[in-house]
Amino acid sequence: MLKLREQARFYVHAAGVIAPDGRAWLLTGESGCGKSTLTYSLARCGWPVLGDDGVVLERGLEGVTVHGWREPLRVSIELAAWFPELSRRESLVDWQDDRHRVDVNAAFAQRARTGGVIVLGRGDRDVLSPLAPTAALAMLVRQSTFLLLTDDHASSHLSVLRDLVESVPCFTLEHTSAQLSTIRDTILAVAG
Amino acid sequence: MTHYRIVPDALSASLSDGAVLLNLYTKRYFSLNDTGSRIWSLLEHQASEEEIIETLVREYDVEKPEAARAVNQLLDDLVAERLIEPTSV
Repeated sequence: MLKLREQARFYVHAAGVIAPDGRAWLLTGESGCGKSTLTYSLARCGWPVLGDDGVVLERGLEGVTVHGWREPLRVSIELAAWFPELSRRESLVDWQDDRHRVDVNAAFAQRARTGGVIVLGRGDRDVLSPLAPTAALAMLVRQSTFLLLTDDHASSHLSVLRDLVESVPCFTLEHTSAQLSTIRDTILAVAG
Repeated sequence: MTHYRIVPDALSASLSDGAVLLNLYTKRYFSLNDTGSRIWSLLEHQASEEEIIETLVREYDVEKPEAARAVNQLLDDLVAERLIEPTSV
């Protein structure tokens, strides 16, 4: 990751998926907010995955590009009630893992221009709300541990995050398990 | 006339609706609204507290006592967050 910084590419704790229009949507939020689960839900709909727990951002001529950070996509076996195909992978579950996760198949992609940012939070209702740039940047700062390195690249890192939130729509999504089947429609409803 | 200096560990990003400040030493961030962002940009240009107050009175629909209270409060907050520090100049 430090080598990437030297190349003006910056890691952020977020999932990335590519919508049918070719734009990448970032799903970010605190650990346990549902990034991997909703990423898998979108992967099942055929949306290529850039990462489920981290992606790399780079400023390009036409906005901010999201590069994939390829690690196995893992979801909890307890989601088999919503995703029946998971029950066939029960023998592969890591029972030492406190979330009882299992590796799942997904089509990975290398990069895409950003389409939007969604800050996830679990709740007792499903509400998608616009998020102002300052609030979106503050959230991305929280999810960018490497931004805090006191090196010559910190300013560029913050600048890329600023360009991102100023160039694409940002939202918060308070969500229930209903989004496991509706997240695609939720994003498509607000995608350009 | 009180002047302030932005500390070397402070980073800032101006946005359409405000700004986000980050202190790389304390690892804390601070959000500013549009007016706060304007005050920060004046600090970047080494404006004194009095000059900042006068600028706000000129640019916004605000009386001087109210502007002075708001500026003083924000400067105190920024000092507490170790994003700026008073200077003798």
